[in-house]
Amino acid sequence: MLVVSGLLTAYLIRTTTAWQRTSAEWEDLARTHGTELAQVQTDLEAAQAELTDTQTQLAAAQQRITELADEKARLGDTSASQQQLADYQARVSQAAGQVATALANCIDGQQRLIGYLRDADQYDPSDLQRFATDVDRVCGAATDANAALQRELDR
Amino acid sequence: MTRPGLRALSGLALLASVTGCAVLPAMPAPVPSSVIPNRAPAPAPTSSGNLSPDGFDAAQRMAVRIRNIGCGSVSTGSGFAIDANTLVTNRHVVADSSALQLSTYDGRDVGATAASTAGLADLAIVRTAEPLPAAPELADADPATGDAVTVVGYPLGQRLTITTGSVLGATTDPLNVNLGEVLVTDAPVEPGSSGSAVLDTDGRVVGVVYAKDAEGHSFVVPVSTLRAMLDDESAFTAAPTCT
Repeated sequence: MLVVSGLLTAYLIRTTTAWQRTSAEWEDLARTHGTELAQVQTDLEAAQAELTDTQTQLAAAQQRITELADEKARLGDTSASQQQLADYQARVSQAAGQVATALANCIDGQQRLIGYLRDADQYDPSDLQRFATDVDRVCGAATDANAALQRELDR
Repeated sequence: MTRPGLRALSGLALLASVTGCAVLPAMPAPVPSSVIPNRAPAPAPTSSGNLSPDGFDAAQRMAVRIRNIGCGSVSTGSGFAIDANTLVTNRHVVADSSALQLSTYDGRDVGATAASTAGLADLAIVRTAEPLPAAPELADADPATGDAVTVVGYPLGQRLTITTGSVLGATTDPLNVNLGEVLVTDAPVEPGSSGSAVLDTDGRVVGVVYAKDAEGHSFVVPVSTLRAMLDDESAFTAAPTCT
């Protein structure tokens, strides 16, 4: 009877000691994981803050890209319009120059024709007629050049 | 206590100690080194899906700005890609041009190689020399009245803009430039928005903006007309140019 009670008591003491040791080990394990969890949570918060910053920067970059694309496009529009204006002015200048040249030729021819007609008896009438026809053609060219200039001005 | 009483008590103690063995606490199990479960490896994505390489969404990436250099005039319009080297816009956006200049949402210039216009609708297609960033999917059917829509384009030739609204219904074309009915929406548009894609809530193209009225309504060539034109190669002819 006493032996059984002794054995039982020894077993209970050994079991209790083992459970105490196991409990301490579990506590250590829980603290270790708790420390790791705290570190992971800190890392997560830092990563989330970094992600938020990155998203903000991305949004700003996208907005800036859109603005720059718009600025570039509008500069292209302005450049194209100015090129068209420059082309137009070049065409008008060229047409005006042609008008001036043709008019000068016309006036010169008419003045020479007037001189010839003052002394008409000194020239062959057929030569005078041919010269007058040439003067008409030159002056007609001036009229055409002026019409071309007016068309350019109307565009 | 009497002798029989002691015997009874001893018997009870012995019985208790014998039966008590059946409920004695067991020795604890060893403590593991870690209780963190094994994590299954995350599956690798098979495709990028709708993810954008630069954060711009697909609606913005497919939009194209069009500059029409005419003979004595410069105008702008909008368009959108339907494949890597083709974009859709309006006929009146590309008509009477001596050159077309294209640019994408991020300001990249894209060369235009050819333009052709549809005879029976205010639609045109432009081929590009370089690939376009993204192309949307065309919806299978026209949107119904009340459906929400999104318009992506360059109103007034200014920055890329996204506006929203809903389909108000269908009507005959007030400008008589389209065969069949056109859609009316309340999505805000401006000159320069012509050729903008009209998208449904799934990002699919359901129409092409081509006009607006004084009440702020926008008129849209429905996707059914666009599909019919694209399916008929003879529907498009070379766009008229100026010299």
